[in-house]
Amino acid sequence: MSEIDPCEWCEEVLQPYLDRELDEADEAKVKHHLAACGWCEKRYKFEEDLRRLVRRAAVEPMEPALKLKLSELRLEL
Amino acid sequence: MSETSSDEARRLAQGARDRVRFEEEALALADQVYRVARGVSRSKEEAEDLMQETYARAFRSWQSYTPGTNLRAWLLRILTNLNIDRGRRAQRTPDSQPLEEGDYFLYNRLEAATGETDEERVLERLSQDHIAEALGAVPHDFRDVLVLVDIADFSYAEAAQILDIPIGTVMSRLHRGRRILKQQLAELSVGA
Repeated sequence: MSEIDPCEWCEEVLQPYLDRELDEADEAKVKHHLAACGWCEKRYKFEEDLRRLVRRAAVEPMEPALKLKLSELRLEL
Repeated sequence: MSETSSDEARRLAQGARDRVRFEEEALALADQVYRVARGVSRSKEEAEDLMQETYARAFRSWQSYTPGTNLRAWLLRILTNLNIDRGRRAQRTPDSQPLEEGDYFLYNRLEAATGETDEERVLERLSQDHIAEALGAVPHDFRDVLVLVDIADFSYAEAAQILDIPIGTVMSRLHRGRRILKQQLAELSVGA
């Protein structure tokens, strides 16, 4: 009865798992559970996709004019 | 006598070469530094100002950089310090709000609101605009960590070094920052 619910446990370790901060034993435990639990697997996949979207949202190339300004800040020789 | 002055000249020439190399290496990293600048700034203009201040300071203090160490981290330390100094941190802080929800809550909320059970369809509910807006609403202390780890790919240890905070603080801010981000996304996407 004191056994922790595996889905609850997976929710708790979702972040460290994606950050690759779990030890091998726990990582294997997560993988084992995800292989059998579509409910958690979907939520892990969602979190991974979300991170990718966040990364993309922040990628906005620098204006060439700014690049030029930066190189003009170089000290005189 | 003439030998000493030619030594001196050689040393000066070497110093100039070192400096030029430093400047070139720093400029080559500008795109990567900009991603962080943009991530921690409210607007493009603010990010551009921050970049210019960062590079002006970096070029002035190039001698305090130790060759062979992580130049990107060195530049970002200047950037994050300048960003803190600029006092642009007046903002609403959802710090006191309880964030008791677990990590699955955004997915659960979206699934419930859309009636979709396919992960990709659920994901489609999140627009790029909402994500940018949600990121902008994360308080700076949390956002700085989020940007360094999730966007600039620094390890917890590197982010701790750049921001000069303990690694445990990096982890707790990251955790909280991601929760706040998801809470914002839930509000923007399904008004939850």
